[in-house]
Amino acid sequence: MAILRRVLEKGWLIVLLVAVWWIASADSSNVFFPPLSTVVATLWRDLGNGLLIGYLGFSLGNLALGLLIALVVGIGLGLLIGEIRWLREAVTPFVDFARSVPQAAIVPLIVGTFGLGPGPKIYTIAFACVFPILLNTIDGVRGIEPTVRRFGRVYRITPWRYFRRVVLPGALPQIFAGIRVALPIGITVMVVSELYAANRGVGFYILNSSSTFQLAQTWAGAVLVGVIGYAIALLFFRIERVSLRWYFRSGAMAE
Amino acid sequence: MNAHIMTANTSPEAAPAPPVPALRVEDLSMWFGEGPTLNRVLEGLSLDVAPGEFISIVGPSGVGKTTLLRCFSGLIAPSAGSVYVGADPVRQPHPAVGVIFQDYSRSLLPWMNTVDNVAFPLEGRFDKKERRRRAEEALASVGLEGQGHKYPWEMSGGMQQRVAIARGLAYEAKILLMDEPFASVDAQTRFNLEDLVADLRRSLGLTVILVTHDIDEALYLSDRVVVLAGRPATVVEVLDTDFGDHRDQAATKADPRFGEARTNILGLLGH
Repeated sequence: MAILRRVLEKGWLIVLLVAVWWIASADSSNVFFPPLSTVVATLWRDLGNGLLIGYLGFSLGNLALGLLIALVVGIGLGLLIGEIRWLREAVTPFVDFARSVPQAAIVPLIVGTFGLGPGPKIYTIAFACVFPILLNTIDGVRGIEPTVRRFGRVYRITPWRYFRRVVLPGALPQIFAGIRVALPIGITVMVVSELYAANRGVGFYILNSSSTFQLAQTWAGAVLVGVIGYAIALLFFRIERVSLRWYFRSGAMAE
Repeated sequence: MNAHIMTANTSPEAAPAPPVPALRVEDLSMWFGEGPTLNRVLEGLSLDVAPGEFISIVGPSGVGKTTLLRCFSGLIAPSAGSVYVGADPVRQPHPAVGVIFQDYSRSLLPWMNTVDNVAFPLEGRFDKKERRRRAEEALASVGLEGQGHKYPWEMSGGMQQRVAIARGLAYEAKILLMDEPFASVDAQTRFNLEDLVADLRRSLGLTVILVTHDIDEALYLSDRVVVLAGRPATVVEVLDTDFGDHRDQAATKADPRFGEARTNILGLLGH
């Protein structure tokens, strides 16, 4: 009972919305808005028969690799660009140009050029996710106190050690803020990248069902993506809390 | 460090030379900008600081004290003139020099606990165990024995500044440059920290250069007080203090000579 009460205290709105949806759609005969009970049954069926599990593995694998590339490139370049002034001045126009390109728009180009398979989808996800991480990393580095910089120089901290032990942890709160923005973008692009030249994946499942008027499947796929997004956000929150313990605790201390 | 050993080894037969100052400043000038925006900050400063000496630099705020200290620490190069630490011309931060910053809470790294903060500059010089031992020892010498597990933001301002001092000591700085180190702590803490620095300086034979706007603090702690004033700033007076080796916050400051010296400096600063 205690657990049920906790769930209701925090999740009452979700419970309420699902209930409203369930009741309002119960007698729906509209082909575009099937009853929620049908959507859930379809989701359950396609998860149970392994079809969606396989697709999910493909999609999440692409997302993980795309994010990994975005993290390595975004944080690595961000630390350098933030720290080295002449590099920042040279690179900033290109960054502003590239991040203004709508990611969804280049998906057909990339996928069309590089064809089927996970490669182009991974690159598209990486390209979309790299900018919030890169820009936040740069800001994080720029926000490090001048006194910290002077300390590093006076106490002759070697450049590599300074990067690893001072600049990276100093910029980490901002880097996490960038990843937080990148995650939903990555999930969206993951789906969109499978709307073109794909033969599996959650995005393919959604598109394929929609074009064959299996709208219950379309809804099931959309709900599934939402649930995954939520689960990833929860996981991210945990990782952030652990990695930035000093940041949250010192902030709480200052209040 | 090698330079010191070499000079020591190569000059045993030479005639007894005058002792090399711990820090020597030769005709130092500093200006920023050029043409109509030329801003001349410091002009023609010369100063010798003997090993083990405690020097304070006082002057009105904005006179260029911090700029001068940054020249000493090798963070910036003077526009003209030179700075030597021992026999080495200072072009970048020198290993014998430690700096205690004004905003201590920002110079300590909040993601490291106290002992790691103190040990951090020793990375690459000693293994982990030795770094830790030296850091604990330095913390003990500033009265923070057994507090190494705490984070800087769990400590009071005075304790944080003790950590910053411990970091300089663990670094084995022979010369401590202190920039308004006690400006943002309460009076009682300030007196405690002043006495701590005086004790450390005596027991470790440190050379200390303190920048402060507090004339009492300068007189109480120093062997000599350097008064900067003017625009561009020059040394207007170097005052010897002779209040003895063992000073006391109450007795020393009640000494009539202390009052005279204070009046003298205030006069030089136009009060």
